[in-house]
Amino acid sequence: MLPVEPCHSVSLLRILNNLALRPAPPRPPRQPFQLSDDQDEVNQNYLADEEEEAEEEARVMVVPDLEEEEEEEEEKEEDEKEEEESHSQETDSAWWRKLQIVNEYLWDPEKRMSLARTGQSWSLILVIYFFFYASLAAVITLCMYTLFLTISPYMPTFTERVKPPGVMIRPFAHSLNFNFNVSEPDTWQHYVISLNGFLQGYNDSLQEEMNVDCPPGQYFIQDGDEDEDKKACQFKRSFLKNCSGLEDPTFGYSTGQPCILLKMNRIVGFRPERGDPVKVSCKVQRGDENDIRSINYYPESASFDLRYYPYYGKLTHVNYTSPLVAMHFTDVVKNQAVPVQCQLKGKGIINDVINDRFVGRVIFTLNIET
Amino acid sequence: QTEVKCTALLIKTKDGYHVDDHKLSKEELETKYGTNIITGLSSARAAELLAQHGPNSLTPPKETPEIIKFLKQMVGGFSILLWIGAILCWIAYGIQYSHDQSSSLDNVYLGSVLALVVILTGVFAYYQEAKSTNIMSSFQKMIPQQALVIRDSEKKTIPADQLVVGDIVEIKGGDQVPADVRLLSTQGCKVDNSSVTGESEPQARSCEFTHESPLETKNIAFFSTTCLEGTATAMVINTGDRTIIGQIASLASRVEDSKTPIAIEIEHFVHIVAGVAVSIGIIFFIIAVSMKYYVLDSIIFLIGIIVANVPEGLLATVTVTLSLTAKRMAKKNCLVKNLEAVETLGSTSIICSDKTGTLTQNRMTVAHLWFDHQIFVADTSENHSNQVFDQSSATWASLSKIITLCNRAEFRPGQESVPIMKKIVVGDASETALLKFSEVMLGNVMDIRKRNRKVAEIPFNSTNKFQLSIHETEDPDDKRFLMVMKGAPERILEKCSTIMVNGQEQPLDRSTAEAFHTAYMELGGIGERVLGFCHLYLPTDEFPETYSFDVETMNFPTSNFCFVGLLSMIDPPRSTVPDAVTKCRSAGIKVIMVTGDHPITAKAIAKSVGIISANSETVEDIAKRLNLPVEQVNKQDAKAAVVTGMELKDMSPEQLDEILANHSEIVFARTSPQQKLIIVEGCQRQDAVVAVTGDGVNDSPALKKADIGIAMGIAGSDAARNAADMVLLDDNFASIVTGVEEGRLIFDNLKKTIAYTLTKNIAELCPFLIYIIAGLPLPIGTITILFIDLGTDIIPSIALAYEKAESDIMNRKPRHKKKDRLVNAPLALYSYLHIGLMQALGAFITYFTVYAQHGFLPSTILNLRVEWENDNVNDLEDSYGQEWTRYQRKYLEWTGYTAFFVSIMIQQIADLIIRKTRRNSTFQQGLFRNKIVWVGIASQIIIALILSYGLGSIQALNFTMIRPQYWFVAVPHAVLIWVYDEVRKLFIRLFPGSWWDKNMYY
Repeated sequence: MLPVEPCHSVSLLRILNNLALRPAPPRPPRQPFQLSDDQDEVNQNYLADEEEEAEEEARVMVVPDLEEEEEEEEEKEEDEKEEEESHSQETDSAWWRKLQIVNEYLWDPEKRMSLARTGQSWSLILVIYFFFYASLAAVITLCMYTLFLTISPYMPTFTERVKPPGVMIRPFAHSLNFNFNVSEPDTWQHYVISLNGFLQGYNDSLQEEMNVDCPPGQYFIQDGDEDEDKKACQFKRSFLKNCSGLEDPTFGYSTGQPCILLKMNRIVGFRPERGDPVKVSCKVQRGDENDIRSINYYPESASFDLRYYPYYGKLTHVNYTSPLVAMHFTDVVKNQAVPVQCQLKGKGIINDVINDRFVGRVIFTLNIET
Repeated sequence: QTEVKCTALLIKTKDGYHVDDHKLSKEELETKYGTNIITGLSSARAAELLAQHGPNSLTPPKETPEIIKFLKQMVGGFSILLWIGAILCWIAYGIQYSHDQSSSLDNVYLGSVLALVVILTGVFAYYQEAKSTNIMSSFQKMIPQQALVIRDSEKKTIPADQLVVGDIVEIKGGDQVPADVRLLSTQGCKVDNSSVTGESEPQARSCEFTHESPLETKNIAFFSTTCLEGTATAMVINTGDRTIIGQIASLASRVEDSKTPIAIEIEHFVHIVAGVAVSIGIIFFIIAVSMKYYVLDSIIFLIGIIVANVPEGLLATVTVTLSLTAKRMAKKNCLVKNLEAVETLGSTSIICSDKTGTLTQNRMTVAHLWFDHQIFVADTSENHSNQVFDQSSATWASLSKIITLCNRAEFRPGQESVPIMKKIVVGDASETALLKFSEVMLGNVMDIRKRNRKVAEIPFNSTNKFQLSIHETEDPDDKRFLMVMKGAPERILEKCSTIMVNGQEQPLDRSTAEAFHTAYMELGGIGERVLGFCHLYLPTDEFPETYSFDVETMNFPTSNFCFVGLLSMIDPPRSTVPDAVTKCRSAGIKVIMVTGDHPITAKAIAKSVGIISANSETVEDIAKRLNLPVEQVNKQDAKAAVVTGMELKDMSPEQLDEILANHSEIVFARTSPQQKLIIVEGCQRQDAVVAVTGDGVNDSPALKKADIGIAMGIAGSDAARNAADMVLLDDNFASIVTGVEEGRLIFDNLKKTIAYTLTKNIAELCPFLIYIIAGLPLPIGTITILFIDLGTDIIPSIALAYEKAESDIMNRKPRHKKKDRLVNAPLALYSYLHIGLMQALGAFITYFTVYAQHGFLPSTILNLRVEWENDNVNDLEDSYGQEWTRYQRKYLEWTGYTAFFVSIMIQQIADLIIRKTRRNSTFQQGLFRNKIVWVGIASQIIIALILSYGLGSIQALNFTMIRPQYWFVAVPHAVLIWVYDEVRKLFIRLFPGSWWDKNMYY
């Protein structure tokens, strides 16, 4: 849009750029036509002398355009050379200057300051922060102390998040898929080891030594002070009969009739409602119901006896032994994955929470190959 | 460096206007443009030329395409960080998916949520920007200009933008010149070239070639200048962008737009926060990897840390805050084009103001009268209401008659209901002033003129320097003719032999002449334009009723008049301006007057509005007082300086810098518009934030160059408004000052908003750090954090924008743009390491309470993370021996999130209250004065209630219904925060300037 020929305008722009790169120009910028400065002698006299003005104008007229352009052409060439040199130098020195500034910021030897603070300022700030954080630490200690004062070590304040009880099975090896080949012991040996290990605490001798034999069919309520040690009821390994591993040390895995133990999650103070013991029942979750033709439960009632409730918490109820129900899958379709769902049944038991597949039920697959 | 460049460019433009049409004869012109002076162009040829050269209008500056603006919002600020977070989320999911096809979609959701957040805040900011720009577009619709053109031998009125080179146009008084034209014939044509040169003195135009330069010669008139009087026929020689105005306007678009101070501040702040986020993120990524976490997990930690660190809602809040202020300013007549300019005005340290129209009323007004050897003061206020001088003298009766009769100006008909001062007048500025003055003083002027019929008249011309008219008198018995004359005082005096004193004619002796000169000098010395008035009753014997006056031969006397009086006029300052200037001064803002007017007038106005204070002197004043030559005066002694354009022309940039630095009161007089640019650049070299006012097209480069360009809404040209950042709807300087106040307030309040917003980032960040290092179950989820940042915190942080100023912000210096940062070290440290940590503590106490009360004591959850998050562990033991399924733990974890969220929210209420002030106690400020803060607090609580109890069952949001008591766990901590901050402020107030003040005041 410049009024000049295109080539000329390009060269002008370049000159201007060159001008810009040079450090402060030694002369004032070229004067424009002073078209207005002298034109109106705004005088207090409303009627200024126009002719005089015109003369004045003529006097201040600037060099004709032509000459100027020539000058510029020359300038341009010189400036281009200058530009290249100064450019590289400038970037170098700019980096150097930045580095110096950073360096000076880190440690300024003149003012003996580091990070824009003197030693005194630094020590003062450290002291202040020390006291501030010390008092914050005191506050948090006080808060935690009061928190512990309000919390009983025997009885959790709220248990609603852990209810209704969850269910877990043993053996458990990272997965709920029981895949094994009867004829290849390597594929099921780890289940056996896991079960054996789990049942160590249920050994009859140990149970008889540590725990009491309490009457079945009723709650084993132990009144008394909260902090009194509580006795625990025996749950002997032998209650599990064929699944105890006492008679068949392979828990039926070697014959394709695996034992799976089911354990209900402990909840302090939990009691099955209305005195009906919680029962366990398993069935095929999806597919042909006849895929599992028979399951034996041990104890035969397939339930958790009332005498194991309530649980008084780990601090006082030290030897509490979780009751178990063993499922002996004696006749399951082989060479096919069978999804099994074992549910707790009883009053107040919830076993159909969509989001939680371990509340009141457990789902696993049996895939027994022969 | 760019300064040099743009000044030079500007000069180039003026030089580069190569036109030689003024040298050509009419015949040569006809051949050059293929036109005919009598018949004009043919329509076909005109259409052809129009297609070739385009319409005769200025190309509006290139607008950034909307899509670019939108994309800028999408990637600007923190958006990049959040995009990285989102992409990392998706990558993490990709890796998970390749390992395990059934992996949960949590990461995909999180990534999508982050992307959504960026897009939503971007759309919001874009919408806000667009809304504020829309205010401007309504402004830009102007009535299309018409031009009278001869085409096909016919006179036609066509829209001015249809004009082409070679068109013959007719121009008459009152029209805007429709293009750059070469005059072919004229009758008493005068133009106002102020839009090109900035000088509002009328200039005569004729068809003679008088000057080599096209800009000086009399036979060329320029696009957008106004023809004041007379008529002319002219040929169009340049149209649209090729006109001189077009070139200046297009130059303005080449001046680079520098970043606004607030944009720099926000960028600085974004850098700080992003720096903190990225460095903490990377440090903990490395820690996590070296602690043998999976890289995938470490990436997810990294995302959490970024999300916790970035105040997602803040930039949107800042936009809202700015647009709220913009709205408030619009009510006070400052229309802000660019939202960020709202604050720029607040940090302004130098205002370069125009004189005419901005500081003054932009109309000549009678200020003083001199008759009966006495100077009388006339009321120059906006409505002229109380004229108190003595009107009983018979001299006044004569004088008023001359004023009324010897005047060609007339009110435009049809404005009977308009107040006198607002009526539109046909005539030049001085005549208008006299007409209005006499209308106010005497009543119906038209009627008086009718009763004293005009029989002959010599209009003013520059050779005579007087105006004369002959009237019949209204007294039917008096058959004499009355000859009245006005003009340059010394010329009038020459023609007089007597002087009227108290209604009596007295011979004009030496002492009376002396008195005249004293009065003349006095009035002229205060920058006023002085006129002399005289009259003469023609004797009936020589000039009977039937006498025919001939103005060509002057068959009547032109000497031996009776001198009646002097009258002086000035464009008086606006009544609100002196107050505004005083305010600026106490606010540490230097007001520099830049005007095309004569130095004496400029200085007088500067003195009357306080730009030059009553007791300060210029170097020249001191020289005069001490009787020394100007060179011997110590320049440091002079507070004030009046610099003319001529002096400025010969100055090096260093000399200009020296003047700007050494004088606190500066007036630039008789400057050309391009010198305005030089002055602006000079001020910017002083590290000042410069505001510039302007109205003409030629001001547009200076407006663009300035940190904030202020265009005039009434007098301003489109080009000026395009180049400006702000438009003053009432053209009043005082409006700028209210704008400054708003700008300063918003800066303070933005500090508060940012401090408020940054604080909770620590409380959001600590959970992640502790989660990584101590292996606790995660105290707060990423989505929950987003609900704080974009939910509960939004309205409160906007509410702080409504906070009133703590002290008189107009009594402190403007902020130093490099030292007084928006986000400074004390602000960041205090927010992060003091209040932020306290908040984190309070929230953690709640977290521990929730877990402990549900069975997991702090000692148990330490390093529990791996088992806790293992989906296969469904019988995890707690401190009481109870066993938890994975989902039960998850639900407990969400309860923890909700409780943590609520605690942060509760403590943010305290944070909001303490942020109301930075120095004063919140009680001094008034807890309930800012109602919006309480709306904000209510909104926080309501949103939290809805999230906890209303949406508790929506799994994806991870909120649960928490027990009511968990809402109160953090209350003591909130109180502690309040108390701690009050103590901090108390110490700041007690020991101003102390170490504490320096380190704890943000």
